[in-house]
Amino acid sequence: MSKLIGRVLATEKSPTTMDEFNFWTNSNLKLHAFDIVKVEHVEKSYTFGVIENISHITDAQSFLTNFISSDFGDVEIGEPTLRVGMNYAKAKVSFNSGSVYTPVHNNAKVYLATAEEITMALGLNKIQNPLVCGSLKMYEGTSEEITLPVYLNSKFILGPEGAHLNISGISGLAAKTSYAMFLMKAIQDQCLKTNEMDESVAFVIFNVKGRDLMAIDRPNDFSVDGPAEKERTLAEYHSLDLSTDPFKNVKYYIPYASNNSAKQSTYLTKNDIESYLNADQLKKFKYIYSDDKENIEMMFADIDDPAQTMESIISKIIDNDDKDFGGLSTWKDFMDKVTENAQKGSASAKGDISVLSWRKFKRVVRKAIQDDMFANAVNNSKAECRLADELKQIRKNEVCVVDIAKLPEDKQAFVFGDVIRTIYNLKLGEYDGESGVEPPSRVIIFIDELNKYASKEVPKTSPILREILDVTERGRSLGIVLFAAEQFRSSIHDRVTGNCSTHAYGRTNSIETSTRDYGSLPDTYKNMLMRLEQGDYLVQNPIFRSLLKINFPKPIYKQFK
Amino acid sequence: MTNSSTNKPKHGKVMSILAEVTGGKSYKAHKYSLDHTDRPSVDYGDSEIIWKRRAETTPHKTYVDLSGLSKKLASRDDQILSYFLDGSRRVFKVDDIAYAQSGGRSVIYPVIAGQIGVGCCRRVDKRVLPIKLVQEFVLSMPDVADADGKAGFWPATAKKLSECDELHRLGIEFSTILPYKTSRNNDKKFEDRGTACVQDRMIECEKRLVAELVRKGNLNQDNYLVKDGSLEYRPTAEDKADKKKYQTFKNNYSWVIGASKNFNPEVCEDINGKPNPGFIADLPLCHRTPVAEYESPMLGDIKFAVWYIRLRDKMQTRTPFDGILKVEKILVTEEENECGIDSQLVDTLSAYLVNERNPVCYGSDLRWANHIYPVYLTESYVKSRYLSAESFLHLF
Repeated sequence: MSKLIGRVLATEKSPTTMDEFNFWTNSNLKLHAFDIVKVEHVEKSYTFGVIENISHITDAQSFLTNFISSDFGDVEIGEPTLRVGMNYAKAKVSFNSGSVYTPVHNNAKVYLATAEEITMALGLNKIQNPLVCGSLKMYEGTSEEITLPVYLNSKFILGPEGAHLNISGISGLAAKTSYAMFLMKAIQDQCLKTNEMDESVAFVIFNVKGRDLMAIDRPNDFSVDGPAEKERTLAEYHSLDLSTDPFKNVKYYIPYASNNSAKQSTYLTKNDIESYLNADQLKKFKYIYSDDKENIEMMFADIDDPAQTMESIISKIIDNDDKDFGGLSTWKDFMDKVTENAQKGSASAKGDISVLSWRKFKRVVRKAIQDDMFANAVNNSKAECRLADELKQIRKNEVCVVDIAKLPEDKQAFVFGDVIRTIYNLKLGEYDGESGVEPPSRVIIFIDELNKYASKEVPKTSPILREILDVTERGRSLGIVLFAAEQFRSSIHDRVTGNCSTHAYGRTNSIETSTRDYGSLPDTYKNMLMRLEQGDYLVQNPIFRSLLKINFPKPIYKQFK
Repeated sequence: MTNSSTNKPKHGKVMSILAEVTGGKSYKAHKYSLDHTDRPSVDYGDSEIIWKRRAETTPHKTYVDLSGLSKKLASRDDQILSYFLDGSRRVFKVDDIAYAQSGGRSVIYPVIAGQIGVGCCRRVDKRVLPIKLVQEFVLSMPDVADADGKAGFWPATAKKLSECDELHRLGIEFSTILPYKTSRNNDKKFEDRGTACVQDRMIECEKRLVAELVRKGNLNQDNYLVKDGSLEYRPTAEDKADKKKYQTFKNNYSWVIGASKNFNPEVCEDINGKPNPGFIADLPLCHRTPVAEYESPMLGDIKFAVWYIRLRDKMQTRTPFDGILKVEKILVTEEENECGIDSQLVDTLSAYLVNERNPVCYGSDLRWANHIYPVYLTESYVKSRYLSAESFLHLF
């Protein structure tokens, strides 16, 4: 039986409306924002409301009354009688069981809802293609506490109805990567169960920090949290109907670095690399001039090019019939040619590209390709590869982790741009004729620090931004799903966030919540965003009737702390 | 009265029924409230109270400091003031009614109606909870309206009123009709006489409620009742008739103290028997006056102990009499009647009352300086349960 907790308040000044109502409760009752309450309404229907705010008032008419009540400012004074006070909560109407959306009546009874009612009120009971995205807790800390798994319609996150996920939150406290990984784990779990090709999914994940995502197929040993936490976490996974295994079919790609050079291109230890190599799980990727010259433009993602001279140079370079660059096959030849063009009085300077432009081009490119991964050839026997060639072959349920953590920013962009382009072309069907190409119906690309590639400040000409926009705008139908995370959502290009169907808001700060992006949230929720615990998210998805506050368990794969 | 006439009033308004039953003529005159709003006032009206000797065991000559004791008690965080009682009434003139007199003249008398509410609250763990509410609707009519002068006329009329459709539908019952005296031997206005009847009825209700609390064993040395206003309860002839009953009446008040917000400072006499309001006005903060004893011819042989406590600094109130609480207690036992109350008890009660100075109802009640919060809450509780003036007046 539902517990009666209060009565609806309707007055001239604060009436109940179709959208919201207030009700009083006992001051000691623990309620939280996002808790659902049930109100008796006409025709034996029930109106459900989501708590937005709780206020406490007393009969003191002004602050002065309270001040006087302590003998005009004696801070030590107690009082033999507590001032009469009460709590009233503001709730937003989310649902009526009889589709009666007239305002609830004064003094109507307000109850806590049961688990089934909450599911119904939030619209979680009729979700097709359910994909677990976390769990929500109601009435936390009371004897009536309820924990419910929350399901998304997978067609609204993986397409074709809606696609892409955007996760925002400040570093360290929001656990953005963990949340994306949790979702991908849920997706892989689901896909491993089904054999339908229509629902097949593969993952491309970028590791951008340390070794964070470089052991996602190894179980979490909970060495930091202890065995009790392990048990709790595993139980949570069970309750969400997820397996407690880490990711399966994982391949790692690290940038090639020659054994002779002191500089390492990854944070993985030698032993790790060795063991991955032995397991045939790891490859070192290289960029070969003749195959990858088209990606040179990715190096210019952050370079302003108002006169489009860089673009002209690049199009000259990738033109196979160009008399200067057409027949080149190594990065060295290419650099020599560029240097030649950058010389005063060079032959090409007589054309439409000035020497100064060539010099600018040379500055950028020379710095960018100073790395072992820009090589002349791939030695397949030494577990080397071309990233694009590998990704073309991606199969269903595979997880490709591309390690760019130790690369400088411009090279990170280069690799990221290359991957995005490869996947995009793969799904466009450009490689369909090649042997071994058998792409799954959906490819999920996860990238942290999206602000590096798709912030509002990125030059409009940025090829990476263009690729991202293509993915977010067309990926839904093509089957490319972008899971992106960033610290500040407000700095991301509007067309990118605008095309995401699912948004997860983690802990953030007040500067961020005061931006226009958060204008539609009520103040209580904004403040809540600043206090969210690690593992708590506010999730928005077209199928949810309102924002949901959800929680997800700790990662199940190996953690490096 | 014929059968048809007894049936007829069933559909009428209260006034038409009354006119019918008493044979008067209702004028459907203007209806208005006779209450004054609650505002701070010094009551300068004359009082028949005579201040007698000192009435406590220690013969204090001047103010007694309570600050130390009140702090000590506050730090202990226990309470002996547990129950709070407040009665109030709202009185309206609802009509004029004319009764024929000799010589074909007719005299107009006002009809007074009142709502009485007496509430009692209990403080548990610093929270004030309502425990009892007595509500009554009463009427006051001129005594001449009872043409036959037979006992039972007024109760019968009240019963008849309550049977009328409108009241029945609203679930309202007039508990009684109180006749006011119309004789010309005092110069009080009829309205005031009617009001006085309602007031007396309210005091009756208060007495009954106190008696009930005592009977239930709720009041004892650890659970005092603080009653708002004076304890000047006049024992009725009925009370006095039975000696045993009379003692019970007095015993009821062993654990009751009256706390008045306003009082007549003139009746305070100094040792020489001269009125000395200044003695009260100059009372320092957290001090009490010595206890005086008074009796009133109106009250018979009941003796009262009375003293004053200053709750708030003179600097922070509007007048020197604001922030002073007048406390009364009935002298119950033989011993008390002879030697006065135990000074220690007076000090303790006073110190507890001093601690009641917080919280205040500043902003919601102009008399905040003299109010003690639990009593204020009890009063608010009672008032919140009244039928609104509009609805009430509409009955007539």
